[in-house]
Amino acid sequence: MASGLAAASLSASLSAGASSNVITVGTLYANTGSFATSSMPEYAGLQFWVKQVNAAGGMYVAPLKKKEHVRLVSYNDQSDPATATTLYNQLLTQNKVNVFVADFGSVLTAPAVTIAKDQKHLLFDITGSGTSFFSSGPNPYVALTSLPVSAVWPKPVVGLLSKLKIKRVAILYCQNDFDQAQAAAIKGFLASEHLQPVYFQGVPTTQSDYSTIVQAIKGANPQAVLEFGYPNNDIAFLNQLKSTNTHFNFVLTPFPGQLPTLFRQDVGAKALAWGYTYAVPPILRINKVNIGLGLNAFLQKFAPGKASTVNFLNVAGYNAGLAVQAAFAHATSMSQLGIRAGLTAVSGKLQTLEGTFALNKAGAQVGELLPVAQMVPHGAGFQFKIVYPATAAQKAMVNGTPKYPAPKA
Amino acid sequence: MRLFEYALVSGVLYGLFYGFIGVGLNLLFGVMRLVNLAHGDLVVWGGYLAYSLTTSAHVNALWAIPLSIPFSLVGGLILYLITVPRLRRAEDTETSSLILFFGVSQVLVALATMKYGTNQVTLPELGNPVMIFGQPYAASLVASASLAVPALALFYFYLYRTRLGLATRAVMANEEEAIASGVRVRRVATSAFVIGIAFAAAAGPLATFMLGGINPTTGGGLTITAFTIIIIGSLGNPMGTAAGGILYGLASSLTQAYAAPWTGMVPYALLLAVVLLRPSGLFGRRVRIA
Repeated sequence: MASGLAAASLSASLSAGASSNVITVGTLYANTGSFATSSMPEYAGLQFWVKQVNAAGGMYVAPLKKKEHVRLVSYNDQSDPATATTLYNQLLTQNKVNVFVADFGSVLTAPAVTIAKDQKHLLFDITGSGTSFFSSGPNPYVALTSLPVSAVWPKPVVGLLSKLKIKRVAILYCQNDFDQAQAAAIKGFLASEHLQPVYFQGVPTTQSDYSTIVQAIKGANPQAVLEFGYPNNDIAFLNQLKSTNTHFNFVLTPFPGQLPTLFRQDVGAKALAWGYTYAVPPILRINKVNIGLGLNAFLQKFAPGKASTVNFLNVAGYNAGLAVQAAFAHATSMSQLGIRAGLTAVSGKLQTLEGTFALNKAGAQVGELLPVAQMVPHGAGFQFKIVYPATAAQKAMVNGTPKYPAPKA
Repeated sequence: MRLFEYALVSGVLYGLFYGFIGVGLNLLFGVMRLVNLAHGDLVVWGGYLAYSLTTSAHVNALWAIPLSIPFSLVGGLILYLITVPRLRRAEDTETSSLILFFGVSQVLVALATMKYGTNQVTLPELGNPVMIFGQPYAASLVASASLAVPALALFYFYLYRTRLGLATRAVMANEEEAIASGVRVRRVATSAFVIGIAFAAAAGPLATFMLGGINPTTGGGLTITAFTIIIIGSLGNPMGTAAGGILYGLASSLTQAYAAPWTGMVPYALLLAVVLLRPSGLFGRRVRIA
């Protein structure tokens, strides 16, 4: 009932003036609920892209051979997948948007993937990297714009574990596409080396109490603990370690690299020290681009004088806009498959502030692989040091050696 | 065995906190048949008070507990005067209150979002871990349980050792008979309402520790948990709620230890079992129709 009443109170916001010659891009954001922390910065990044494009006179639309302004049609899904389902449908059937962009993460992207496939409408999936979205063969209607598919994420983590000769690995994951895929991938990599995790358990994505779970992991005596959750899970897990003075020699959580300011505030630099995370922009500084702004320019223009407040999700939202821009610039027609053909044309050639944009036939992102970073104490805070690359090309980015076992704080 | 011990102790400590969360909600339902869907949001606002105190005045978050009481008594009284007399005149008080407090909940969420933003906020830990049977427990967990026990004892004293408490129990048992016996129901209802709200707000700082942080929408889940606990303990029996909380805490903690993937389900399976086997709750009395 709650979600029904909430859905009834939704409102649309149009962030560009109505015009007959516009490309409409539909999207959802969550300004309340458990995904608001990640959704809102991503939405801000997308809004910034719209502002930039319209300030430049619009984006080039190849089939029309002219520039068009962009209008963003957006609704608040309040972090609720059921509400998101209704609203994604509304974007296509009522607003008749040209293309649509998913809300943050796999949970809120899942309904959009189903709708995109059913209604044959092109979806730009920003961070919904759940493997199941891309595992049913070629699919022209979904394109993952930021981050690789989540099963690929842990590849460098396995490399790092191997380099550190770690054999006893504990894996705790939340039961959603994004986290399960990472956990399963690590388990698979370990199995290929004839190793089994000493702890392998899933918990609900709503989990907030990790007290007994931490003790169960401790009892398994792992050399490394990998916790795959969303930001609120990572925060609660890391705080549980802190509040019980529980020390592990290697702890990896996915989100401190994406939301460092939030983690500094909610967990504290001391408790984060020597932990590992995935390195994403702006930790990764990519300035050689052939579309949009390079990272340094983005930091300056997105938040003038406040570059330190910019996080990965701002970059991801902007990057999704660049993918939309590239698709229309190279589209062969205004049909959904024609716009998708534009993406295929630039796949592997497009260099954005997130790296190489490359899609496989299923629409999964395979270009923007993530290295592993360690949070190294620095003064009263910490700094990210890239300690293990995801690709040979990233070797030049490595600027630290992993400190293992992690010193006790 | 060590893990079993840890899960038992942790379950009891968490359970006492859950009892604290549920008792105010049960009082409102027991006395006035009000389904307060905003209960969890009031808890969250208590948590935000603690957050404001620690970030602006740099004082211990637990000071928010006594400070929240006058705020919630005044706020509760205002809310009572605006809503409850009308609700009590409604044909179906339970359904009307459910809808009304859903609205209150949405307002509280919106206000919290405007004031504190959407990000999770946390409180600094209260101190070093406390060792119980040689194993470490978060100081905030032990403090929460330690504060829940006297609070529940105080509540028990009010309910079973004071004239107002006696009148409250009379209304809970049968309002019409209570009126016939000369009980001033309006006075009882007002007291029950503001005490229930005060319990919710006072639990807020503890909830911020126990849940690993709060955000404006944390209250929804807390309300569901609180309802689960009072149904297990028995609707309308506040002291059964404490027991229901401990059962819920134990079920949750033992599941975390031995079957983590089922953590989200087992407490609710317990709820189903109780509803099917003993519809009046574990500590509910059968209704005698004379």
